[in-house]
This record gives sequence, C-alpha cells and structure tokens, in this order.
Amino acid sequence: MKHRISAFFIALVATFVMTATAQNDRSNVLKVYNWADYLDLELIGEFEQWYEEQTGEPIKVMYETFDINENMLTEIEIGQEDYDVVCPSEYIIERMLRKNLLQPINKDFGPNTPNWLGNVSPFVVDKFQQMATQPGMQVSDYAIGFMWGTTGFLYNTRLVKPEEVESWSALYNERFQERILMKDAFRDIYSVMVCYANYQDILDGKVSRDSLVANITDQNIYKVEDALFRAKKQIAGWEVDFGKERMTQEKAWINVTWSGDAMWAIEETAELGVELDYVVPKEGSNCWFDGWVIPVYAKNPKAASYWINFMCNSENAVRNMNEIGYVSVIGTEEVMDAMTDDEIEETYDLSYFFSGIDGADSLHINPVMYPDRSVIERCALMHDCADKNEDMLEMWSRVKGNSLDTEMLTFIIVVFTAILAAIAWHHFKKWRKRKMRRLRLKEFTKKMHDKGRHI
Amino acid sequence: MGKRSNWALPYIIFMAIFVVAPLLLVGYYSFLDNEGALSLYNFEKFCTSYDTINTFIYSIGIAMMTTLICILIGYPAAYFMANSEYGTPKVMAMLFILPMWINILLRTLSTVALFDFMKLPLGEGALIFGMVYNFLPFMIYPIYNTMQKMDKSLIEAAQDLGANRRRVFRDVIMPLSMPGVYSGVVMVFMPTISTFAVSELLTMNKIKLFGTTIQENINAGMLNYGAALSLIMLIIIGLTSFFGSDDDESNETGGLL
Amino acid sequence: MKKFFAQAYLWLILAVLYAPILIIVVFSFTEAKVLGTWSGFSTKLYTSLFAGNAGQALNDAIFNTLFIALVAAVISTILGTIAAIGIYNMRQKERRVVNFVNSIPMINPDIITGISIFLLFVFLGLSRGMMSIICAHIAFCTPYVVLSVMPRLMKMNPNIYEAALDLGATPFYALRKVLMPELWPGMISGFILSITLSIDDFAVTLFTKGSSGIDTLSTFIYADARKGGLTPELRPLSSIIFISILTLLLIINYRANKKVNNNK
Repeated sequence: MKHRISAFFIALVATFVMTATAQNDRSNVLKVYNWADYLDLELIGEFEQWYEEQTGEPIKVMYETFDINENMLTEIEIGQEDYDVVCPSEYIIERMLRKNLLQPINKDFGPNTPNWLGNVSPFVVDKFQQMATQPGMQVSDYAIGFMWGTTGFLYNTRLVKPEEVESWSALYNERFQERILMKDAFRDIYSVMVCYANYQDILDGKVSRDSLVANITDQNIYKVEDALFRAKKQIAGWEVDFGKERMTQEKAWINVTWSGDAMWAIEETAELGVELDYVVPKEGSNCWFDGWVIPVYAKNPKAASYWINFMCNSENAVRNMNEIGYVSVIGTEEVMDAMTDDEIEETYDLSYFFSGIDGADSLHINPVMYPDRSVIERCALMHDCADKNEDMLEMWSRVKGNSLDTEMLTFIIVVFTAILAAIAWHHFKKWRKRKMRRLRLKEFTKKMHDKGRHI
Repeated sequence: MGKRSNWALPYIIFMAIFVVAPLLLVGYYSFLDNEGALSLYNFEKFCTSYDTINTFIYSIGIAMMTTLICILIGYPAAYFMANSEYGTPKVMAMLFILPMWINILLRTLSTVALFDFMKLPLGEGALIFGMVYNFLPFMIYPIYNTMQKMDKSLIEAAQDLGANRRRVFRDVIMPLSMPGVYSGVVMVFMPTISTFAVSELLTMNKIKLFGTTIQENINAGMLNYGAALSLIMLIIIGLTSFFGSDDDESNETGGLL
Repeated sequence: MKKFFAQAYLWLILAVLYAPILIIVVFSFTEAKVLGTWSGFSTKLYTSLFAGNAGQALNDAIFNTLFIALVAAVISTILGTIAAIGIYNMRQKERRVVNFVNSIPMINPDIITGISIFLLFVFLGLSRGMMSIICAHIAFCTPYVVLSVMPRLMKMNPNIYEAALDLGATPFYALRKVLMPELWPGMISGFILSITLSIDDFAVTLFTKGSSGIDTLSTFIYADARKGGLTPELRPLSSIIFISILTLLLIINYRANKKVNNNK
C-alpha cells in the first residue's frame, strides 16, 4: 500500500512538472484572445489555410475568449500571458499604449501577399490617432480597429413615442417610472450624461463634446452624478447582459445600451412580434471602438500580424458582421455594397465613413449600424480615465445607491445582541459549573478531613 | 492524544502554499496606493466611505437572514430525513443538492423567469429567496449527517428517565446536533456575503452586496482597493468566528455533563 | 399522521427548489433565445446541441469540467478527512488558528481566491494551466470537506481508534476499518459538495487557466453571457445532465429498496 501511495505521488508531481513546462512548438501556434461571440468561427479554419498558403508554414489557432477588459489586462500585465493578438476596447488600448504593453505590427507581408490593412475607414484611423499617448506616436502602428458603435436608447416603438426619446431627458419622464434599464458601464454613461449636462454650453460653442468626454473634471463628475440621481426613479435596474431579455419581454421599455446590443435585440424581438428601435439622442453620446493589438509578451507576432491582415479583408469583415451583428471598421466599397439594402426607404450620409466612394452620401443602409453624419457628429471618443478612474467609480457607486435601511439595521443589531447574549450565557453557565464543582470539592475534602479526624 | 494532530500536517502545508501565501500576495497589493507606494490609503478610503460600509453592514444583514431562514427550513428537513420513523427514501438527501449542479447563472436566470411568471416583484425578497435557494443544501447536509449518527441509546435513556418528547428534543437531540448546525452556519453565512451573481440578477443590480463592490473594483482595474476590501472583510468576519468558536470543547462532551 | 406532515414538508421544499429547474427543462423545448419567452414547441436546440454548433469547444469544456471536478473532489476529500482528524486532536489554541485559515477560502470572494492563486503562480514563475486550476479547486473545496467531516468526528466515540490499536491493528488498518466507516457519510457529503463547487466555479478558474486554452463549462458559459445572453443550447444541455442524474438516483433508490425488501 505504501508503495502504491508513493508511486501515485511521484506520478502526480511528474504530471505537474510536465504540464507546467510543456509547450508545443510555439511558432506553429497562434493564441487569439477575443470577446465571446465576436467572430465568425469558420474564419479560424480559413485563416489557418490562408496562412499556410501565404507563408508555407502550418499554423494552429488557439482561440480564447474573455468578458472583462480589465481582467484581461491584469492577465497580460501582471501574468505576462503570451497571447499573440488581443481585441481590447479603445480605452484599454490607450492604457496599454501608456504602459508600453504593445509591440508594433509588422506590416511587411512580402510581395505576394495582399495587404488589407488599408481597408480600415480613415474615420476610424483618425479616431484611433486621438488615443496617442506620446507626441509623434502613430497609433495605427500598434492597433488596427475591428468593430465599432455608439451608445443610445433602445426603445419599444409600441410603448414609447420616437419624440420622447429624442433627448436624454427621457430619463426624467415620469411616464417611464421603473421602465428604463441602464447599462452598468460607468464610462459610457458618463460620456453620455456629460454631454447632456453641458448641452447649453455645447450649443453656445463654448465647449466641444470631444473635449468634454476626454477631459474629466471633478465639476463634471458632480454634474453627472446629480443628473443620474434625478433619474433614479425611472431606472429599473443596472444591467450588463440581461437588458436585452427584459426588453424582449417588454418588462422594460427603454434600455440605455450599445448599438451592437441594440441590433441583436431588434432582430431577435422582430421574430417575436415586438418592435424595437434605436436612437442616439440629440445632446450627444460616445462612439466606441475595439481593435486588434499585439502585446509585448506575444511569442508569435508574425502570425499575429497576418491574422490582423486577414480580418481586414472586406469579405471577412462582412462575414463577421453578419455573424455577430456589430459593425466593422472596414470602409471599402465591397463592404458598402454588401451592407446596403434597397428595402430601406430612407437614405443616410455615410460619406465620412465610406470616404471617397461614390454614392456614399445617400445610402439605403441600416442607420442603427451605420449612423448618419448628423448623428456621428454628436458622438465623441471615450478615453482612458487614468487618474480619474477612482473618482468615477466612487461616483458610480454612490449613484447605484445603498440599501441599508432602518429595518435591516435593527434586525442586524437584534441578531448580534442575541448571539452575544447566547455566548455570554454559555460562558456564565460554564463559570457557574466550575464554581459549583469547586465548592463541592471543597465540601467533600472538608468532610473527609473531619471524618479522618474522628477516625 | 499523542501525535495524531500531525495528521493535519499535509493539509497545513497545502494551505500555507495555496491559501496563506496567495493571501499575502494579495495583501501586498492592498497596501499599495494608486501610484504603487506603500501606504494605508486603501484602508483609510474604506473607513471614510459611507457607501462601502453601508453595503458591508447590509450584506451581513442579508447573510444573517439567509442563515436563519436556512436553519429554520433546513433543520426540520434534516431531522425528518434522518429519522427512519418518517419513512423518507434514502436518496432524498441527494435530491437537495441536485439543483446545484446546474450552473448558477442559468439557475438564477430561470428563478428570474419564475418570478416574472408568477408576477412577483424582483428586489430584496427575491434576493433572500435566491440566497436561501442556493445555500439550503449546505445547511441541510451537515445537520443531516450529525443526526444520522445520533446515539439512539441516549434518547432511550432520556425517555426511560421520564422525559417527554419535547424535553428529549430540547435537552438531548438539539445539543447533540449543534456541531452540524455550526458547520452549516459557517458554510452558509460566509459565502453569502461574497456572492454577487444572485443579487445582480434578482435585483437587477439595484441592491449591492459587498461581493459586488469588490468585484466592481477589480473589474474596473482598481485591484489594490478590491484587495484591501476583501482583506478587511476577511479580518472582521474571520476574527468574529475565531472568538465565537469557544463552544467547541463543550461539544466534545456532548453538552450533557 | 406525523409521517404525512414530514413527507409533505420535504416534498414541498423540493418542489420550490425544482421549480426553476422545471422552467429550464420546459424552455429547452422552444427556439426562443430568451429564457421565458415561448415561441412554439421545437426540438431545434437539442439537435443543434449535438450537431456541434459550439460543438468541439463545448465537448472539451464538459470533459475538462468533469475531469477537474473529480480529481479535485477526490484529493480534497482525502486531504480534508485526514486534516479533520488531525484538527480534532489539536489543542484549542492551535485548533482555532487552523480553523480560521481553513475558513479563509470560504469567506473570500471567488475572484480574490482566483487572483491570489494567479499571483502565486506568477510569483513562482510557473505558467497557468490544468495544474493551477486543480490546485485552486482543491484549495476552496477542502474546507467544505473538513466542515462536513468534523461533526461526525465529534459524535464519534474517541476510544474505538485506541481500542483498535490496542488490539494490534496498524494505524492505517485502524483508519480504514474503524474510522472511515464512522466518517463515511461526512466524507460522502464533503465529496459531493466539492464536486458541486468545482463544477459551478467561474471566477477562480478564470484567473487560473491562463492562456492554456482550457475552458470549463462555467468559463465557457460566462464568456458567452455578455454578448448575446446565455447560449440557448445550454438549456437542453442542463436538462439532459439533470434528467440523467435524477434517473440514476431513482434507480439507486429502487434497488436499495428492493434489497431491503428482499432481506425482509
């Protein structure tokens, strides 16, 4: 038996050592770290084929998913995990640039391989450049966009009139008491509310939305907090992922959410007979992006850059869009043709996005996915809050509120005292027992002593 | 009792490596402020933050309520299952833990659907329901186990000595089952404070528990503050249980002597 | 009469506990993505589950989950039982300290346990993978085993072990033949609780799996939940798992009853 046990432990330790140190030949592996449900998975196999065709080397893609930006960053920053290509949100890209966690993307693919990196819409490239953390830095050397969108009102067209959601002041409309769901994302909500709170100044030309969203001041944090507090009666909850469900069931009438989520909800509910629509209110909002980057700890940056290239191909971009419902940053004519739909009656000006292409200023295209020029002009890019992060989070905490009320407090105090009393009673009983025992012992020895004398 | 206390040695070594050492590492982060310098900044922040303390006390309240309800519901359940005179099938105990094998997110979402279906409002009541739902098996199991092995002769002896049913229960069965209750309380009270999935879904995040606060901070990149918060929680709760477990030695003698 | 009330009480509780599960099973027979909306009877989700839509990844995740849970539960049960015996024999001061350390994984939020072990492995320079996941799972399961076995230890007559030794048994033999039968229900409880905790765990596995490509059912599910809500295929999956284990239990119960009746 003893031998068997030691054999078992030796085997255990051996497995430990082996798994901790084993690695496949790393140059044949590409580790991709992306959001869940954010890729047409068939493209993985096609990429492996394409890569081998272009370079003559085989490749195996390990595709993994994450759900929280900051935790992904912790893994890379502290854990130095060797993911080759990652798709963070724009503010995390900015943070990674600031912390020097990214390596430049090698854009030299040789004479025979097409380079699709230029397919990204100049509009997006410009926005990315706004994230430069040092003078002279070319952000596009480090990050290539993937998907983008806006934040706005997803609303039920049967229960809510379009005029009511033209402005963020819908949050104060008492008709919507307990009917509005807020996205639990303090950055996006801050960006939105800061535009609302300073709308007059924006109209007067005193300040631009871009600078409002980029420069976070204590005063603005206070204004936003105040604005949110006043909306609390209408807010039914703070959701991260269940907002779409409650909209589908018509339990909530309005949901402050992202355009991609809105697309999902609109399509899903259409099948069930519920009509939803999405709008970006007039005071302003933010436009968000995510993009592919190569961390400095990547072990296969070559394959990583080929991956990014592959994703920029127009056809692949369209396939991703159709699969996941979000909007790609690729602004080529092929994408434009694929996404226009003549069944849509109105036309929208997308010339800022599909720049230089004829007819881009009046496209029959879905305005939720591709906002008209007038809409995008009131959207600003979110930045990494850096040192204001803490204050923002505290503000958000205060807004979401406290639940401790007098009933609960009395309950706690009652239970606590009861427990203390029980423990005290217990100790008292023990003490008394011991005392009785000692007394009895004393009497007994005394008796024995007396008896001894008499005998 | 001789060297038998050494039997705990393998586990102690394991805990030193995988519980204490990691905790020290996390603890290190809690003493760093935002610039990375050593300071008590995070702890000061907690003490001056009305919200966080509020949430903490509230979470303790919810945990107490959940634990009490679990005892109220679970103790009779364990009693009925352990006593063969009630004729419960043997596998009934397993039935209580089976729902736990379904992923918590899915379970909670369908609880939400259940509440919607029955037109009940989400909120504090739903939260307590969800918590009790999740932790009831953890209360039932230890009590059930303790009762199963209860020495029948003690009960018979008490009955022979003329005790009626109620006295038998109060003075024999209850004290003897206390170790099980204690285990159950520990397994329910402590995790309740740190569970956040239930409160997120069953109150639509309107009610925050302390676990949510810690989660929020870490997910927003404030690892230092989150680490400090959990360290504070550990110290407060740990110490109270540390001093509260004085009752152990009385349990050894069964509380009869 | 007592019997009736007792049974009614138990079945009532079980009914409430199983109501949400029933909803999952019922709604696994509809196509609607959102749990709670009924878009007509359909077995599409079942077919798509087996057609391997999320296919290979889901299969791997299930396998990983079971493997990790079994290994962690077995090791936790053994480690925890022996530890419980040791702790029981400690002096009060030592016991209090060990009990406190034992309860740390229960008090700490999962995410802290996950990050702490993540930091440990980073500090030691070891890469995260299957081993780190299993070690982490053992770390948070064993306290529950200790707490499950302890009450049995306290109820046990402490002299039978000594008696066995006096009669010439080796400590190991005495452990197997004397202690274990006494502690067996506690060990089984602890084992089942460990498996349950391990299957359900998300935050700890998330931080300890590293870039090794391992996914458990929980990390697979959670990552999904953010974008499109829970994958609807989860409903038939959970229903199948649930119904098969339930059937297993009923069979065991039936056969146990038969044995009892035969012995009569």
